[in-house]
Amino acid sequence: MAGCNVQSPELNNVIDIQGLKKSYFLGNLEVPILHGIDLCIKKGEFVAIMGPSGSGKSTLMNMIGCLDRPTGGKVMLMGRDTNAITDNELAELRGFEIGFVFQNFSLIPRLSAYENVLLPTYSNTKDGMDTSGRARDLLKLVGLDDRTGHKPAELSGGQRQRVAIARSLINDPSLILADEPTGNLDSKTSVEIMDIFSDLHKKGRTIVMITHDPEMEQYVDRVVHIRDGNIGNN
Amino acid sequence: MLSLKHSFRMAVGSISSSKLRSALTTLGIVIGVAAVIANVSLGASFNQYFTEEIGSVGNNFIIIQGKTSNLFHDSEMEVIKNTPGIVGVSPLSQEVAEVTYLSTARQITVQGVSEDYEQVGNIQMESGTFINDKDKYVAVIGHDVAYDKFDRKISDKNTIELSFTRPDGTVVTQKFKVKGIVDSPETTFVQSGIEPDDRIFIPIEAMNEIMDQDYYWGYFAAATSLESIDDITDELDKRLARDLGVSSRDLDNEDAKPYALTNQGEILEQVNQLSDALGSLLTSVALISLIVGSIGIMNIMLVTVTERTGEIGIMKSLGFKNHEVLLLFMVESIVVGLFGGVLGIMLGVVGAYAADTAMGLPYVFPVDMIFTGMFVSVIVGLLAGIYPANKAARMNPVDALRHE
Ligand SMILES: Nc1ncnc2c1ncn2[C@@H]1O[C@H](COP(=O)(O)OP(=O)(O)OP(=O)(O)O)[C@@H](O)[C@H]1O
Ligand SMILES: [Mg+2]
Repeated sequence: MAGCNVQSPELNNVIDIQGLKKSYFLGNLEVPILHGIDLCIKKGEFVAIMGPSGSGKSTLMNMIGCLDRPTGGKVMLMGRDTNAITDNELAELRGFEIGFVFQNFSLIPRLSAYENVLLPTYSNTKDGMDTSGRARDLLKLVGLDDRTGHKPAELSGGQRQRVAIARSLINDPSLILADEPTGNLDSKTSVEIMDIFSDLHKKGRTIVMITHDPEMEQYVDRVVHIRDGNIGNN
Repeated sequence: MLSLKHSFRMAVGSISSSKLRSALTTLGIVIGVAAVIANVSLGASFNQYFTEEIGSVGNNFIIIQGKTSNLFHDSEMEVIKNTPGIVGVSPLSQEVAEVTYLSTARQITVQGVSEDYEQVGNIQMESGTFINDKDKYVAVIGHDVAYDKFDRKISDKNTIELSFTRPDGTVVTQKFKVKGIVDSPETTFVQSGIEPDDRIFIPIEAMNEIMDQDYYWGYFAAATSLESIDDITDELDKRLARDLGVSSRDLDNEDAKPYALTNQGEILEQVNQLSDALGSLLTSVALISLIVGSIGIMNIMLVTVTERTGEIGIMKSLGFKNHEVLLLFMVESIVVGLFGGVLGIMLGVVGAYAADTAMGLPYVFPVDMIFTGMFVSVIVGLLAGIYPANKAARMNPVDALRHE
């Protein structure tokens, strides 16, 4: 099985993974983590990746997010072969096309919520975008318009994750990658965060989310199961 | 593309989040830059001070001192006068006399000189005129002699009584009419027989007659210019040696000659050597401090990079390129350096001012030192930042993120 059906129009395939392999090397010893993964995710899909701990979910997400390069196979993003582009171009791709949300919120502690949201635009700015206005709008969207000046330490876990979601949207990316975004949150807060993702999905965003929580299945279009570095059957 | 404005703001944010640590880190740079500033500022003060000092003593002077008392006579005076480049010469003799004015008596050094001394010794008159070669029993007195030494102030046209003791013990007393008062020079320089404030000048003929002698202690001559003063001194040396029967072989042997020559250039040179020695001491302090400071900044930047490994991962995941991460940490390192530099400049300026005041030197502050200080601290911060910033820039994003 290859990645995406070749007949579907290219731009509709946000992620097209073909035979992806990733190994880590402990000295000379090759430790294979991903054993040839094929995966196709289309525009507007909300996909959950589930699997036991250590099965390679985060590793897969790092490959999709261009944070690391594959050992074999290829990752196509928006029709572009990521093996064929330089590190700087990869960084640019991350900055413009991908929004990350991590389990541990990953905010810069010295910057305010507003500055954290704005941070990606310091490096990659879309032409003609009113970045500061957009940062305020996004904070409003996640319900933090009264917390823009707060530092991460002055916010609750749920509020921090909202800032991170707002940040992931600042450059209007084609894809949102979330690695256990509710992993550090209580169930009530998790539901609030999932409502935000749901909302974004309804507005047409493509979202790939790693989760352990079977409860989350209700929010997504599709669940991809990973076991020992292979895609399992749904 | 990451702008300098944003990197600067982020650097300042990062530095101010650990103020004490940053301040301690900059100590080396602070001391280093302060030493550079103080060095140059003090050096300039010293030079200005001594140049003024020596200038106030005389104009391109050459001092000729006899090692024995009965050495110099009028014929040597002629030799000196006829040496090319000599524009004036005064013989010198010096005795301590008891000076009486209105029933107060004081021991005062009396200088026997000729008319030329006014020009050679750079004498400025406060009132009256200096001795001329037709004068006999007239005196020109120093500022302190006129105003401080005696119960009553002496002014020109007053008469003072000078009692000299000859080598055989007889005391000769003579009345002298005060012809003028020498203006106190602005600054003074330590060199015997020159400081005019507490002295009395009388015609050398009068002194020799009273002392019953026909020789001089030495001469005070003036050359045409400071640039040619060494050549003129050499020529003078040759002529005097020939006149006094010193063999030409001994010309370079100072011990073989019965006299010694010193000129203004040599004294200036000695002074310069002194301030150079002081300068190189401060320079090595500065250099060592700057090296220590740079290692300090490098160390703290390495700590910062390690502490912020997770943040580096975040920034890279947000799309920051390697060279932008590099820029961020370089700017931070330079800002730390610059911060130390500014403190160092302030410390150096205050230190130099305090030192000048304590030593009574004129305060000189070369403004371009501020820029030199800034430049040095920027360079130190830059050099210190290269390795840590590179380390940050090269981090693998996945590994850096895992570090959180
Ligand atoms: N840098 C690395 N070097 C060596 N092995 C690694 C490295 N990164 C991950 N691994 C290994 O790869 C495997 C998959 O890790 P990964 O983080 O993708 O798991 P995961 O599915 O996200 O697990 P979890 O649900 O606990 O987050 C693990 O066995 C891990 O030990
Ligand atoms: Mg994981």
